[in-house]
Amino acid sequence: MHWLNWVIIVGYLTYVVTDGVRRAKGTNKIEGYFLANRSLPWWAVGLSVMATQLSAVTMIGTTGQGATDGLRFIQFYFGLPLAMVIVGVTLMPLLRGAKVFTAYEFLERRFDAKTRSLTSFLFLASRGMSVGAILAAPAVVFSAIFGWNLALSVTIIGIPAIIYTMIGGVQAVTWADVKQMVLIVGALAAVVVVLLLKLPVSPDDALRIAGATGRLEVFDFTFDVNETYTFWSGVIGGTFLMLSYFGTDQSQVQRHLTARSTDEARSSLLMSAYWKIPLQALVLLVGVLVFVYYLFQAPPLLFNPAHERAVQDARGSAYGELQLRHDAAFAAREAAARTAADARTRGNDAAQAVAMQQFVAREGEVETIRDEALTMAESVTGESPRDVNYIIPRFVLHELPLGFAGIFIAAVMAAAMSSIAAELNSLSTATVIDFYRRWVRPEASDAHYLIVSKGATAFWGLFACIVATFAATLGSLIEVVNRFGSFFYGSILGVFLLAMVPGARAIGAFVGLIAGMGVVAVVTFGAPSVSFLWHNVIGAVTVVVVGVVLSRVTPSQTSPRAEGAQP
Amino acid sequence: MPNREPPTAGAGRFRRTLVLVMAVQVVTLLLLWLLQARYGS
Repeated sequence: MHWLNWVIIVGYLTYVVTDGVRRAKGTNKIEGYFLANRSLPWWAVGLSVMATQLSAVTMIGTTGQGATDGLRFIQFYFGLPLAMVIVGVTLMPLLRGAKVFTAYEFLERRFDAKTRSLTSFLFLASRGMSVGAILAAPAVVFSAIFGWNLALSVTIIGIPAIIYTMIGGVQAVTWADVKQMVLIVGALAAVVVVLLLKLPVSPDDALRIAGATGRLEVFDFTFDVNETYTFWSGVIGGTFLMLSYFGTDQSQVQRHLTARSTDEARSSLLMSAYWKIPLQALVLLVGVLVFVYYLFQAPPLLFNPAHERAVQDARGSAYGELQLRHDAAFAAREAAARTAADARTRGNDAAQAVAMQQFVAREGEVETIRDEALTMAESVTGESPRDVNYIIPRFVLHELPLGFAGIFIAAVMAAAMSSIAAELNSLSTATVIDFYRRWVRPEASDAHYLIVSKGATAFWGLFACIVATFAATLGSLIEVVNRFGSFFYGSILGVFLLAMVPGARAIGAFVGLIAGMGVVAVVTFGAPSVSFLWHNVIGAVTVVVVGVVLSRVTPSQTSPRAEGAQP
Repeated sequence: MPNREPPTAGAGRFRRTLVLVMAVQVVTLLLLWLLQARYGS
């Protein structure tokens, strides 16, 4: 990569860290460190919320998904706007009104200490591992592309985020997120402009060609609980998932708690409600346009350069043969695409239809050869051959003009760091508030808690780095942890929903939580084809039903404090 | 009992916000549907 790109990346990383450290001024109490003294404007909180969700996986994985699978992934977010509105009028005012540091702290006031501790522990267990996975995704890609050691990639992305989060707390996280969000959107927009300028066909033709391969199919109205990307899974399952994420996950709740007022917190939520789907459409559209670009510019047979090298070394002859077949299939596909575009320019609809059919057939041939190459890569490397995450980085490094690659790589790092920083900050908050201050040292000075909080941030940051460094060998473990996370996500939402039911009691909440996770586990193992989006619905409904029934049938032993805390 | 912040936005304001958010979503979904209808296979 050109030195100018490196200068941009190093300059950006230096700026993020120094600005984060500068934000540490005035953060000498835990209210300031964890909640910015509840003083942040809605737009900063809103951008921070969006930046936290927009991880490096979105920048490289979702764009890659757009290139291979098109726009249908966007249905996943169809439940988000409604969920934001519901959170804004139910859970969020409740948590803000309770003046809590963590969402789980509220559960002790409403129910009991064990419900709080269990939910907080579940959050720590799943988020602790997932932050490692968030860090690992771009680190693995950078390692393959730049030939770096994985530990070096993890260090370059992880350490700056740990430093500014540890020193500056939530203020540093939020204001870094604001800048990172601007960088991310700017980089995506720049890629779209460059793509449109470099494409040899008009945007209209580019979309027609992409559409012929099914990549512009957005809606699937099939009602099938086994499918994640359908309209109904998105609207129903997605609403429950987003309710759980934005309403009960500490990494998101903590953002809302930093806003100046409930109205400002609500406005920050609505920013996501307005912009999430259009932004996600932009991300996927970048991928679709990259697909079209590679119809006219020969793509590599394998996008993962590490796999490409390995296959060339191990099976040079067979791979060379495959490459020749790929080159021929690519040329035929390109010719068909150009013929289709030319026919449309001439206004010859019949010729265009025939050319489009030929193009789709040639596209199928290219895909078949790609599949053979991926199978070869799997047998040589023993790793998953899926190279979706490498499509955009490869395009950026080889096709973008000087400087743009540096901006895009910096934006990927920004996306990773903004997600990691928010997670670390929330992990530290839950550790200190829900466990250390609750069970170990209930009475201590703010200075003491501040030191412990910074230590907790550093601990979780290093933990994430270790998980990310061993991500390749921990692959199956991370999958287990993610599956473990889907067991309780909906169930935790169920506990918070139960908290809003008059008369619901601690016994119902705790047993309901266990029952919800149990039912989801049974569904997961008994009917593994059911999409994880529906696990959230099943878990939440089970907790509410079991919780309400138990609260009614068991003798009342509720303390006055718990009764008094009812919303 | 936790101190709930006094509601500065009334039910009317919420209804307006809800209608606005949903209207934006309908327009977004309509645009996506038009994209699919015009260019889809």
